[in-house]
Amino acid sequence: MGADSGPGAPPTVPWRKVLYERQPFPDNYVDRRFLEELRRNIRVRQYRYWAVVREAGLVAQQLSCVAVFLTLWFYMERGDLGPSTLLWASLGFALLGYGLYEVLGGGSRERTRLADLQSAAVFLAFTFGFSPVLKTLTESVSTDTVYAMSAMMLLAHLVSFPYTQPSPPGSLSLNAALFGSVCLASRLPGALHTFAMLSCALLVFALWPCLLHRLRDRAEWSFPCAAALVCVAGVRGLASFWPEGALLLFLALLVLTLACPLLLVHLQRHKDNIHGPWDEAEIREDLSRFLS
Amino acid sequence: MGQRRKGCDQVPAHFKPNTPPSTTHTPDTHSSSTHRGSGHEDCVKHSICMVSDFFYPNMGGVESHIYQLSQCLIEKGHKVVIATHAYGDRRGVRYLTNGLKVYYLPLQVMYNQSTATTCFHSLPLLRCVFVRERVTVVHAHSSFSAMAHDALFHAKTMGLNTVFTDHSLFGFADLSSVLTNKLLTVSLCDTNHIVCVSYTSKENTVLRAALDPDIVSVIPNAVDPSDFTPDPGRRDDSKITIVVVSRLVYRKGIDLLGGIIPELCANHSDLFFIIGGEGPKRIVLEEVREKYQLHDRVRLLGALDHKDVRDVLVQGHIFLNTSLTEAFCMAIVEGASCGLQVVSTRVGGIPEVLPDDLVTLCEPTVSSLCAGLENVIARQRSGNVLSPAAIHRQVQTLYTWRNVAERTEKVYDQAGRQPVLSLPARLQRLRSHCGAVAGSIFSFFAVINFLFLLFLQWLHPDQLIDVAMDASGPHSCWRTLKKEKPKDPNSAVI
Repeated sequence: MGADSGPGAPPTVPWRKVLYERQPFPDNYVDRRFLEELRRNIRVRQYRYWAVVREAGLVAQQLSCVAVFLTLWFYMERGDLGPSTLLWASLGFALLGYGLYEVLGGGSRERTRLADLQSAAVFLAFTFGFSPVLKTLTESVSTDTVYAMSAMMLLAHLVSFPYTQPSPPGSLSLNAALFGSVCLASRLPGALHTFAMLSCALLVFALWPCLLHRLRDRAEWSFPCAAALVCVAGVRGLASFWPEGALLLFLALLVLTLACPLLLVHLQRHKDNIHGPWDEAEIREDLSRFLS
Repeated sequence: MGQRRKGCDQVPAHFKPNTPPSTTHTPDTHSSSTHRGSGHEDCVKHSICMVSDFFYPNMGGVESHIYQLSQCLIEKGHKVVIATHAYGDRRGVRYLTNGLKVYYLPLQVMYNQSTATTCFHSLPLLRCVFVRERVTVVHAHSSFSAMAHDALFHAKTMGLNTVFTDHSLFGFADLSSVLTNKLLTVSLCDTNHIVCVSYTSKENTVLRAALDPDIVSVIPNAVDPSDFTPDPGRRDDSKITIVVVSRLVYRKGIDLLGGIIPELCANHSDLFFIIGGEGPKRIVLEEVREKYQLHDRVRLLGALDHKDVRDVLVQGHIFLNTSLTEAFCMAIVEGASCGLQVVSTRVGGIPEVLPDDLVTLCEPTVSSLCAGLENVIARQRSGNVLSPAAIHRQVQTLYTWRNVAERTEKVYDQAGRQPVLSLPARLQRLRSHCGAVAGSIFSFFAVINFLFLLFLQWLHPDQLIDVAMDASGPHSCWRTLKKEKPKDPNSAVI
């Protein structure tokens, strides 16, 4: 035994992967079984193109949601859209969405309708009461700064949105979106405008992802339709006052839903993950039950 | 000198090699090795420099490995010096048992006792050590040690043979592993020989550094069986005690332990836990103890000195190891050597370490470990287990430092026969082996290092650097004297 044992007669006993036994092999012996436990790509998922496109639809529709919200804000600011119209429309959509959510929920519910109504009432009352404050919140800040801040916040919303688990939307992404909305809403002409805009923001950024998630869970066929509808609305809305922007958004959506999945599926071939007995074991159980 | 020094000086006395120094010594330990190329018979004596960031007073597997291996190599007539970085006020040259010289070099520590590296700044100091000691083989330890990689880099520039021992396992999945594995590839691509501590570790290292498996040897760690003897009188047989001795960190599976304790304590009213070690996961165990009111049954001892480990081990019936990754688990060998029933997770190189009748292997889950422990507890109760003395007898011959030294010696012989790559060949190897980008960058570093060496050689010619005197005196003539009147092994010079 040793690093330099000469090539003598081949030992008759088979080599074993054990250290406690002195074996008649040199220390640098390489058996046929060397690396036999090596596994490659055991946890790699094989993606199918259209499945990935479907998932990418979620990202695309979230981007379009922001476009829809900006469109509404633009028309509010220009005065083409009255706050009462927006409020009535929001109420309509909210009731419609709530009904759909209930129907898809299949009877199982954690909260009573009364509790839902209570939350909605509390939120609306507070927003209504505070809207004059919010209206003047950014008066001392220059408009450019407010716009830049809103852009940053909406971008942060898009980046930090929990696309894998969209219900309820992650706290960072929701807060970023609402902060951006408050900034924008404070530039509107009246307190009622601000209130309408914030209610609308809540609808778009907080409640719509929940509904979409339920649609995806319970009625799979409807999810692509809903995503496509939002995308069309986003592009169409932007096109009505800024055609170049609409073109950019359209291209971005195209790249996002069609080109990026193609790239992912294509690059998947180059994946080379190595696994073996040297891997650190993972604790998969939930050990917190012993402490809670 | 402060507390720290005192604690450290106990180390050599404790970690004596497991066999007394042999009586015959080759009179001149390094004169034959300094003339390299003068024929390599089997009895060739090497002049070895062990380099690692990890050495006493730091404590751990690498540290004791270096110390014990050095002692056994000295016993075989080789010359060994150790280079590490300064630990606090422990800097300069120190002598340990049998004249083992340790250079504590003033290099800046960056993180976790590992030095900062620039690839260049340690060259003057290390060159000085290599030249003064007439080193022929540089043996670096541990892939976590930047100083070890630096030393390999400089040794190759100076045309010395290099050996590297890898003590740990690494994954491939995350970014940090990708980076460190690239650095390891660069560092090992022109190293003469690599040593791993288990077959799993060899597979891991070969994959990480893209090596030819023929230049990688497997030499396990060892445990001094005379330090870990059973003492059944120390344990209380009216109850069953499970001992855990481990750093309390995530990688040692302390979260699993936190699940096992309440599960088993609920089933057995006479079950006790003794847990030695310290670390960030201590809080988990304390919370478990608090929640299930197990203060009388779970004892947390805190940090243990290595010399106290045996006294803790012998109080138990069962030794439990819950590691999530381990290249070679010395702890389970120590536990078995003290005569305990060993239960361990089946991860890394652990299945290679002990024969099946000495260890119960489980999957790294709470349920599997509990099932394994229940099984062993039942056997313990029925008395259907080997006696501690029988287990100790079986374990004491498995892993000895003398055997490790013999096998390492062969690695040195083989490395010594290999040519050290010339600078052009080295650049070629770097670029063909490490990819275009990393290969070119490190080729550039290698050239700069070479120029730096030339500059140092002009500034301080090798001939003007004094040859260091060994603790055994010129031509080892003090060695016989020392036998008659043993010197205090802990006396430190400077």
